[in-house]
Amino acid sequence: MSSMIERSSDWFERYLVPPLGALAGSVYLQAVRDAFIIFTLPLILAGSVFLIIANPPIPALAELVTQYRSAILVPFQLSFGLMALFLAFGVAYSLAQYRRTEPVQPGVLAMVLFLVASMPVSDLTNLRLGDVLPYLGGQGLLVAILIGIMTTEVMRWFRGSRFTIRLPKTVPPNVTRAFEALVPTFLLLTAVWALEWFISSHTFIMDGKPAQMTLPILLMRAFQPLVVVQDSYPAALLEIVLMMMLWSVGIHGMNVVTAIALPFWLSTLATNAAGGHGIVTEPFFHIFAHLGGSGATWPLVIYMLRSRSAQLRTVGKVALGPAIFNINEPVTFGVPMALNPLMMIPFVLVPVTIVTINYFVFFIGLVHVPVVLQPFTVPLGISGFVATGGDIRGSLLQFFDLAVSALIYYPFFKAWERILVTREEAAAQQLEESGKKTLVQVR
Amino acid sequence: MIRVLIVCSWGMSTSLLVESMLVAAVARKCELSVEALSAGEYAAKVDECDVVLIAPQIRHLRKSIEKLAASAGKPVALIEPFHYATMNGQAVLEQVLYLLSSTQEGEAAT
Repeated sequence: MSSMIERSSDWFERYLVPPLGALAGSVYLQAVRDAFIIFTLPLILAGSVFLIIANPPIPALAELVTQYRSAILVPFQLSFGLMALFLAFGVAYSLAQYRRTEPVQPGVLAMVLFLVASMPVSDLTNLRLGDVLPYLGGQGLLVAILIGIMTTEVMRWFRGSRFTIRLPKTVPPNVTRAFEALVPTFLLLTAVWALEWFISSHTFIMDGKPAQMTLPILLMRAFQPLVVVQDSYPAALLEIVLMMMLWSVGIHGMNVVTAIALPFWLSTLATNAAGGHGIVTEPFFHIFAHLGGSGATWPLVIYMLRSRSAQLRTVGKVALGPAIFNINEPVTFGVPMALNPLMMIPFVLVPVTIVTINYFVFFIGLVHVPVVLQPFTVPLGISGFVATGGDIRGSLLQFFDLAVSALIYYPFFKAWERILVTREEAAAQQLEESGKKTLVQVR
Repeated sequence: MIRVLIVCSWGMSTSLLVESMLVAAVARKCELSVEALSAGEYAAKVDECDVVLIAPQIRHLRKSIEKLAASAGKPVALIEPFHYATMNGQAVLEQVLYLLSSTQEGEAAT
């Protein structure tokens, strides 16, 4: 059995890692992911706190804050509510880092271009902020990503080309840089404004009244079917399977799937924050599926602490602390789960089962749908309560899922433990024999 | 002072390894600075280090990381997954020292 496991993990390494790795290695996906994590997450998290305060889970408190509700929501609306604006900066900045060019200029320009793309070309003094606000947040993420990528790529192309303004070498570098950026900045600004003007000349019907079209509205309408499709059981299943397939070959699955799906997750989450009933959101995976880390490996850590195998005991000790904060690289590479054909089965099966249960539970409304985003490091129990905006049944669901995970992992863990113990005993015996031999030789 | 960059995903789990490496460095009385960063930040900082290490969960980015390190003339290696899993800072520090000594030998030979 042992050699069969080694042979098939060679096969995985040869045929499964390259295509999955190619997908995961795309510079654009990496830049989008970095932008979300580094630039928008702190703002989204801090902003969410105000959302919770404005909608406290306890009815008595809720009544108390009703009259201050709009005031409390201001910091939320201008942080969480503007996430697409910051994302435009972040994507342009991160991509510039990957491209090894100066990152701040494209970042700032991308923000400006995003604003131009989001406002109807009209008398801005008559514009109501409330009309455009949704498209600067959850509904503008796709536009922000596209503009961020375009800005950096165009500026990079100009920097190396003969269309840049060149200054004598004696001019200080900071001055040169400003002038170098002038041509692409002017061209991009004109192009986006012209496109937006063209789109703004069309109208659409909103609440029975005609309203001016903008780029984010147009894109949202085009992608609306995709957002709806993403918020479904088959999509959730596809995403969790892809995540765990990647982790099964030792690649950061959440990292990859997040880069593709996060705009949709956040867009659905923003709808939930406004009273919607979307299910497939970021917390659906990070908070409700990956209990103790990707693959819901919490129970494995407990099993390992009392294992008969020395390797598993060692890993268990190291894995305990991180597991509390849902970090499980020690488990993934220590058991190991990655490239281990035996453990790969529950590693995929457990999250798939949990996602199925949870989708059903949220669908029939047994637990409040997720409304709040938090770092994935918030410990189990607390995170389920907070994610659902203060529904204690959110925590109960997490513990139920934990029990399911413990049940499915057990037989696989025992089988793997047997293999390791046999190996360890064989190694110890060999050591003993070679020890005897040397003793004989010495005599 | 040896400056090490560890390219990883979010830096959450790698920060544990960083701690463990610093402890190991104190025991060996060698001056060490270690920074865990994402692939994008790495591209911006590669010139300011002596050794580049790659965390196992992002080895799909290995080729592009190695290419950049080679063009900057920095030694680079993948961290052994089991050492990463057990947060074995001492073993990873040994790997760093080995990498440095083997590149210095290479330079001396040419």
